[in-house]
Amino acid sequence: MMLNHLAKGLRARITALPDGEIRSQFIRLGLVEGAEVRCMDRLPGGTIIVEFCRQEIALSGELAASIAIDQL
Amino acid sequence: MSVPSVEHKPHHHIRTESLPGDTLKPRVVLVGNPNVGKSVVFNYLSGLYVDVSNFPGTTVEVAKASYLHYDLFDTPGVYGVSSFNDEERVARDIILNADIIVNIVDAVHLERDLFLTQQLIDMGKRVCVVVNMIDEAKKQKLAVDLATLEEELDVPVLGTVAIRKEGLDGIHALITRAREGRQREALHAELHRMLSVVGSQAEALLVLEGDPIVAARHGIAAADAARREEIYIDRRNRVNRIVHHVVKDVQTRKLLSTRIGRASVSPWFGFPILAFVLYLVYLFVGVFVAQDVVGVTEGDIGKGIVEFHIKEFVAAHAAVTVTATVLDDEDEVIEERAERFANGVRGEAHRWRSMRAWVAERPVEYDFVYENPWLVLFFGEFGAVTMTLTYLIFLLLPLVLGFYFALSVLEDSGYLPRLATLVDRTLRFVGLNGRAVIPLILGFGCVTMATITTRLLGTQREKTIATTILQLAIPCSAQLGVIAALLATAGVQATLIYTGVIFAFLVLVGTIMNRSLPGEISPLLIDLPAMRLPQMNNVMKKTGFKTWFFMKEASPWFFIGALAVSILQVTGALVHIMDALQPLVTGWLQLPREAATAFVMGLVRRDFGAAGLYDLSLSPYQTVAALVTITLFVPCVASLMVMLKERGLREGMIIWVGSLVLAIGIGGVVSQVLL
Repeated sequence: MMLNHLAKGLRARITALPDGEIRSQFIRLGLVEGAEVRCMDRLPGGTIIVEFCRQEIALSGELAASIAIDQL
Repeated sequence: MSVPSVEHKPHHHIRTESLPGDTLKPRVVLVGNPNVGKSVVFNYLSGLYVDVSNFPGTTVEVAKASYLHYDLFDTPGVYGVSSFNDEERVARDIILNADIIVNIVDAVHLERDLFLTQQLIDMGKRVCVVVNMIDEAKKQKLAVDLATLEEELDVPVLGTVAIRKEGLDGIHALITRAREGRQREALHAELHRMLSVVGSQAEALLVLEGDPIVAARHGIAAADAARREEIYIDRRNRVNRIVHHVVKDVQTRKLLSTRIGRASVSPWFGFPILAFVLYLVYLFVGVFVAQDVVGVTEGDIGKGIVEFHIKEFVAAHAAVTVTATVLDDEDEVIEERAERFANGVRGEAHRWRSMRAWVAERPVEYDFVYENPWLVLFFGEFGAVTMTLTYLIFLLLPLVLGFYFALSVLEDSGYLPRLATLVDRTLRFVGLNGRAVIPLILGFGCVTMATITTRLLGTQREKTIATTILQLAIPCSAQLGVIAALLATAGVQATLIYTGVIFAFLVLVGTIMNRSLPGEISPLLIDLPAMRLPQMNNVMKKTGFKTWFFMKEASPWFFIGALAVSILQVTGALVHIMDALQPLVTGWLQLPREAATAFVMGLVRRDFGAAGLYDLSLSPYQTVAALVTITLFVPCVASLMVMLKERGLREGMIIWVGSLVLAIGIGGVVSQVLL
């Protein structure tokens, strides 16, 4: 399942990140494979806001669609 | 990779290239993620005298100040050192040349922030760490053990609440104790082996992490992405382990986010809140500043007092014809009187006095028409000196102050990233990312100011698209008032057509540029900081600096623009230009010939352009055609100059000529279709 399909309020564990520079940016923020996130909001158009380790991070729909997760 | 037995003896790394304004003082550089309170610390250390300049070869701004015997530099907020975007590239170079690094981190988000800390340490720099917002950590029931952190990192650590100035007095001692921290032996050894090829350990690390630019500087290839990932993951794990020892969650981990913070990005409340915020900004800047304050400063003080006295002074002994136009409360003309003073108003003081007596206390407008063309050039109707002075100080300054104030409040309250998140999806239609919303909003204030602000966009591509949209489709506050008034007269249908055409055009241009320019829209990935009440102190200082540097930068261009038009008028060239435009104006655009004057004047001051149309009593459809042309038309000379400076001559001229062609082309199409 991809992150952009995670419903509001649900938790998930990241299983795969996309390749490229964006991958490094995720690692810096701490969003690595195995990290746990929770969906806080989904905006019309696909933008998703997740909670991770006391941070609120907003991602575009396209980006979220490239992150594989396991729902918890 | 085997661990080599290379003994690490104490040594010095050679100092590399110079930074702008280089002296031989040791350089202290502030580094940290966005939103950690870096600028508060910088302001505290730097006092009043801050020099902001462009990092050479880029349009990213760098703040530099003096702190004791050091040169103090601020860097753009970054999450890591690399070359992913312009801000990171600039931060990277400043860091490479730093003698001491003050790394500021957020006590609540150490898992995230210490990644950069560890990277700086891995680079072999002398580092000290300021753990800010320890009050927030306490509030969120996080126990942060600073002593253990200092032990783990092996660099000095200081806890602060920068916004309350708590702990900041310890920074001086902290800086003197800055040192190289604990690094992975294997990595450190590998970096050392590269020293003969690259200049420093820091550069070696960047090359291993795949930085193509640093590698190219030394004529070698950067390592591949897999190597970077290896290093990054290892660093990530090290940081996670450190945090595990240093931070204890006293209660179950709970995201502390205010109701407002949550609501402002929720699908139901987010957009209404956005509309409300924009409305507040409009009320403050668009109504209070642009109309009320400017009415007083430009009208009463600027024209009434300052301009009048300057012109009177210049007219002291020069041949001049003065026309006094007495107005009533509604600015309608009651009576008019013109007198020629062959020897100037002081040369014939008694006649001047009697003219003034005739006016008495009634509201009046004086027009000084000098006979010496040089005087006309500088002090006449479009006098370069008088017009620039009034425009800059009495119209633009209050407006820019107002906009930067609103922007600083939005920034310091933590709302800006939320705003960018909400509009991100919408801005993708025009090929932009959410953060472009800032220059676009500023554009409604002053397109020149907004063009300068495009500097904060990450990639060249975004800057180009944003600048084009600004120059083409955004009417600045100077025009907006008049446009609104004209549309009100023209009626609802005209207004709808006008808005529709501009909007459609905006989307079309954005889409075309998005498709044709190489690269892609940067994906949205931002951290939403906690929302808090902005500190007025900080907001004022920020507003003051930004306004000061804008005025310093833009003023010469406004003066040049005014001078250019003044020269055209005095030499009579203006009339020839307008005659040349006739066929276009009356034939293609189907407007009265005086509209040409309005268009040319729009080059100098956009409000002159729009206002010039006011007197022409156009039909509703004619109004639409004229307004479409004027809105799409290149904005004032000042913004043209700034655009040429920001985007370069070639790109700037393409945009300018393109906008000219499009403005007249589309204006004409609209006109032909409607009339």
